Amino acid sequence: MFAKKQPWQKRDTGLTVRMIISFAVLSVLYIVFLSVLAYVGVGAIAIAVIAGILILAQWYFSDKIVLWSTGAKIVSREQFPELHDLVERIVARNNLPKPRIAVINMRMPNAFATGKTPRSSIVAVTLGLMDQLDQEELEGVIAHELAHIKNRDVLVLTLASLFSMIAWYMMRFGMYGGMFGGHGRRDNQGGAAMLLVLLIAIVTWIASFLIIRAISRYREYVADRDGALITGKPSKLASALLKISGTMKRIPTRDLREVEGMNAFFIIPAISGDALTNLFSTHPPVAQRVKKLMEMEAAMS
Amino acid sequence: MTLDVKLGLKVTGRGALTFKRVSGTFFYEMEQDIRQFLGNLQPEFDLAWRITTDSYGYMWIIFEGKRIEDVLAGLTTISDIIEEKGFSDKLLAAVFEFSSVREEGRGGGASQQYLIYNYKRNNFYPFVPLGQKTTDAEQQMKIMATVAEEIPFERDMTLWYPLWDLPLRSLV
Repeated sequence: MFAKKQPWQKRDTGLTVRMIISFAVLSVLYIVFLSVLAYVGVGAIAIAVIAGILILAQWYFSDKIVLWSTGAKIVSREQFPELHDLVERIVARNNLPKPRIAVINMRMPNAFATGKTPRSSIVAVTLGLMDQLDQEELEGVIAHELAHIKNRDVLVLTLASLFSMIAWYMMRFGMYGGMFGGHGRRDNQGGAAMLLVLLIAIVTWIASFLIIRAISRYREYVADRDGALITGKPSKLASALLKISGTMKRIPTRDLREVEGMNAFFIIPAISGDALTNLFSTHPPVAQRVKKLMEMEAAMS
Repeated sequence: MTLDVKLGLKVTGRGALTFKRVSGTFFYEMEQDIRQFLGNLQPEFDLAWRITTDSYGYMWIIFEGKRIEDVLAGLTTISDIIEEKGFSDKLLAAVFEFSSVREEGRGGGASQQYLIYNYKRNNFYPFVPLGQKTTDAEQQMKIMATVAEEIPFERDMTLWYPLWDLPLRSLV
């Protein structure tokens, strides 16, 4: 039973993958486009302007891009009256603007929020989320997403990404300088300066990559906390997190006395590759989030 | 052992220890030593005890006392005897029972909750049975959040193996 993968291990990360691919494709398109411009001899200032326009356009159409890439469909009150009621109850009690509601036809439980401003925001949930969670847990998750909207996390992360993108462009230009510097009339000093710029750009890019992830994880904690304050039930969000992540299913149901014979299994050392994966992930580990929520619960009761 | 003040859990004063029963003279001798120790328990300890063997072939030594310190002392002595006689690899687990005073029986079920000490891993994990062969994962996570810093704790929840049908009914 240990060699065969359990269903929860083959976790369906479809939603995240689709989003990442969409944005990666977009980014590659930009870079190719801008590189071509640079190659045909368009000036640096013109390229900066064009890049700025592209970023603005991506910002402006971000809702549509997200909806399109995730397959989320805006749903009316007639289609999902209970979901609308639930969201309305939360926003009315907390004096928040009501977001548009979207549903994704997916069995994997998941949810996300997007939107440039709190007023134009969208909260999307998968059908699997509505199936698997009870009323209070669903409230917890939606409150978490509403907290993201209230805290303008989409804006925060877009701005943070901007720095990363600028560093990337600097890196590209640095490389051009390095490659084509040879047949120009630049002296060695210019080459060294170019190399320095390149180095700084690379360091900036790596740092911004890690910082964006750190910010993102931090915003998750904040959204957990604010979401829990909105509903007043931290433990419900915690149990929703446990259900969504499949952590619940990982707790075995076989008796200790039955598995005791398979001694080899106890020898498996508790390796924690956690530290490194933590650094690169956008969400903090579920256990850590649950722990914080449970501490909140304890403090509130 | 720390009490779960935050979760409103009270120790019931029941604790048990379980080990695999094997045949042979040495094991028989050890069993006699244990029975002798239990038979000679001083009245100041105020401990009720019971020995039973379950359907898995595990022996259980169950204590119940007003003071948890006495229960702990009893369990420690038993495990010392087992280790002395060279059967420490047969030791499986120790179990401590708690009952919830805050919410009486979630969903009408039993409100008994346990900390299991795994002798193979030398750490504790929570066990909150909820009806037939299911556990209350939420409550187990709460217990972890509360005591994981204070006692050696099993953080890998794929090792939180239940012990169904614990023979810990009241002795007094």
